[in-house]
Amino acid sequence: MTATEGFARHGDHSYIAQFGESEKEVLLNLCEQIIELLAGRTDHGQEDPLAAMVGITSHDSPPEDEVLHRLLPNAYADQVDASEFRRYTESTLRQKKQAHAISMRIHLKSADDGMVDLDHDSANAWLGALNDIRLALGVRLKVEKNSQEELELLSPDDPLRGVYAVYTWLGWLQGTLLTALIDDADEDAESALGNS
Amino acid sequence: MMVKIADQLESEIQAIFSGDTPWVTIVWDDPVNLQTYVVYVFMELFGYPKARATELMLQVHNEGKAIVSSGSREEMEHDVARLHEYGLWATLQRGDQL
Repeated sequence: MTATEGFARHGDHSYIAQFGESEKEVLLNLCEQIIELLAGRTDHGQEDPLAAMVGITSHDSPPEDEVLHRLLPNAYADQVDASEFRRYTESTLRQKKQAHAISMRIHLKSADDGMVDLDHDSANAWLGALNDIRLALGVRLKVEKNSQEELELLSPDDPLRGVYAVYTWLGWLQGTLLTALIDDADEDAESALGNS
Repeated sequence: MMVKIADQLESEIQAIFSGDTPWVTIVWDDPVNLQTYVVYVFMELFGYPKARATELMLQVHNEGKAIVSSGSREEMEHDVARLHEYGLWATLQRGDQL
C-alpha cells in the first residue's frame, strides 16, 4: 500500500490525490456507511404522494440517533419553527448529503490505480462527505466531552483508538484538499482584483 | 400598558410590510469542524474574502457563535439549509431577539 500524500493542486481547479488500496477501501467503506445511515431515515407514513414529490417529509422531530441528529440538526431554537422547517426541508438535506457521499464513492470506484482527480464541484462534494464522516465519527468518539489529549491516550486495545486514528487521518486529508482549494480561491480573487 | 403594546404592534407590522425585520443566521462552535473548513465554507457559500471569512471563523471559535449573514427570513432559511448541507451547525432567528 502506498500511503497517500493527500491532495495537491494540479493546474487550474484540478485536485489530485493518489490513494493506496487499503486507504481506498477505508474511504469507500465510510462512504457506504454514511449513505446507508441517511437512507435508514426513511419517510415512514408518507401517505401523500404529492407531498412526497415536493419533498415534504413526515418527519417533524429530530432523529433520535445522535449521529443522524448531528447531520440533520434543527434550524431553529424554537421547537415549533424547527419542526415546521424540518418537515419541508429534511428530505432535501438528506438527498444532498447522500449525493456528496455518492459522488465520492463514484470517484473512488473509478480510480483503478488509486488516482483521484477532482474539479471544483466534486472537490466540494468530497469536502462535504468527508466532513459528514468526521462528524459521525466525532459523535461516536464524544469529541465534545473528550479532549484531544484524552483521545490520544486511549489504550491500544480500546476499539475507539482505531476510530480516532481514522478520524485524525480524515481531518488531515480534508486539510490537504482545503489548502489546495483556498490557494486557488485566493489567486482567483487576486486576479479578479488585478483585472478590475 | 396598552399604548406600549400598540406601539410594539405598530412597529412590528411596519417592519413586516417594509420587509426590514432583519433575520440572522448564526453559526455555532463545533469541535469537529476544521478551522480551515469553516473558513472555506464561508468563502464558498457567502462569497466572503478570506480575511472576512477567517474573522467570522475566529469569532465562532472564541465566542461560541457568530452572525454570518442577515436578511429576510426566507433568505436566512436558505443560508441555514446550505450550511447544514456542508455540516456546519447553524440556526436562524429574528435579529431583534438576540
